[in-house]
Amino acid sequence: MIEIRDLAFRPLRIDRLVIPDGTTALIGMNGSGKTTLLRLLAGLSRPANGTIILDGAPPEPGRAGFVDEYPDRNALFSCLGDELAAPLRFRHTPCGEVERRVSEAAVTIGLGGDLDRTMDTLSGGEKVLAALLSALITRPETLILDEFDSHLDYDSLRLADELIGSSGARTVVRCTQNMDLAARCGQVVVLHQGTILHVGDPKEVFSTLEDTCCFPFSWRGGT
Amino acid sequence: MNLSLSSVEWHAGSWKFSADASFCPGVHLVAGRVGSGKTTLALLSSRLIRPDTGTIGYDGIRAQTLSFQYPEYHITGSTLREEAESYGVDPTAACARAGIAGREDQDPFRLSRGELKMFQISCILMRTWDLLILDEPFSALDCRAKLAVCRAIDEIQSGIVLVITHEQHILPRTDYLWEMRSGVLTGLGTLPEALFAWESAPGPVRMLRDRGILPANLRRDDMLEAACRMHEYG
Repeated sequence: MIEIRDLAFRPLRIDRLVIPDGTTALIGMNGSGKTTLLRLLAGLSRPANGTIILDGAPPEPGRAGFVDEYPDRNALFSCLGDELAAPLRFRHTPCGEVERRVSEAAVTIGLGGDLDRTMDTLSGGEKVLAALLSALITRPETLILDEFDSHLDYDSLRLADELIGSSGARTVVRCTQNMDLAARCGQVVVLHQGTILHVGDPKEVFSTLEDTCCFPFSWRGGT
Repeated sequence: MNLSLSSVEWHAGSWKFSADASFCPGVHLVAGRVGSGKTTLALLSSRLIRPDTGTIGYDGIRAQTLSFQYPEYHITGSTLREEAESYGVDPTAACARAGIAGREDQDPFRLSRGELKMFQISCILMRTWDLLILDEPFSALDCRAKLAVCRAIDEIQSGIVLVITHEQHILPRTDYLWEMRSGVLTGLGTLPEALFAWESAPGPVRMLRDRGILPANLRRDDMLEAACRMHEYG
């Protein structure tokens, strides 16, 4: 669980927000403050004012799995195998265990035979799938995902959802512009110009957005 | 006017791209799975990389550009004003069109990624092109911005437009549908019939297709009209 109180940081002004265990979608127009909030939750920025408590303590870099919206900003190393292995090596995981988990992970996105491939030869979608695996490989309790799905096709989106669903992460916060995906989350938070416009379950939140392009297409046909 | 890829092949290790295709004026939507070769098609078609074999022909194409998948790759100026001027467009108009009016003197990297993408696409769409290649023009955009980009594409009167995308929900009016399948460019034809053969179709198209309902085209209005039919017929 994540609890935010009296937050003031750049465009963000949030008096109180509770993000329960499960998956929360963070939505909002471009420039509404979504990335700023996610970076705070991941411990990559510190709030000037207010508190964020993630499972009893302030967020720290490296505690939550994080995927950046810029595909190239996720990679530290030049080859796929090193990129996937890095979070485990930083935690001094035994070499054999690193090798096993990296091999298993790469297979799940169809890049099992490509561990020597350089990151610059991966497509945008492959880069974010690799970043997702890298974020998941230490089995974090919390996952913070910044709109990585905008680089994925239908089948890859399903694959990513399966990976997230089976990761064991207790709390997942994901920013998305895919409202069908947001509609499948347990909670939806709508940011508008740095403040919380709506928060609640998808039915409740999207009922306020029925006349907008934000309403999930899959609900238009009455399904 | 025509863009042709004749017996084109390009290799990266054991992976092969191949295409034998001709693009006439109109809007061509190119879809395909992650890693299937969409960006390679964009780079080859814009002649930023050269094919290992085959030829790429520009017939009557004088002005052409490629909008990169990553907006940050386009940045050359330290302000949005400089950036707009590098495209030869008016900075005030470009910022207004991108929904960031009055921010001309801001560092481009102070924008959110969606704002940056919309600004860069706006600069490109403010000019006229014989060949316009848009690689993932909708990624990072919110739905209002996506609709604005679709409207701008719909309004293009001439030239060849390649829209390379895996956008799931908001798409422009499309004349021809293509799909990259494991490195092979495959023509699917005109809409709506081409929708039957679309292997990597977005979720909404699949949902309609599974119920035997085809939208007339891919614009949001076409999709909503088809969704209404789905609701009527159950």
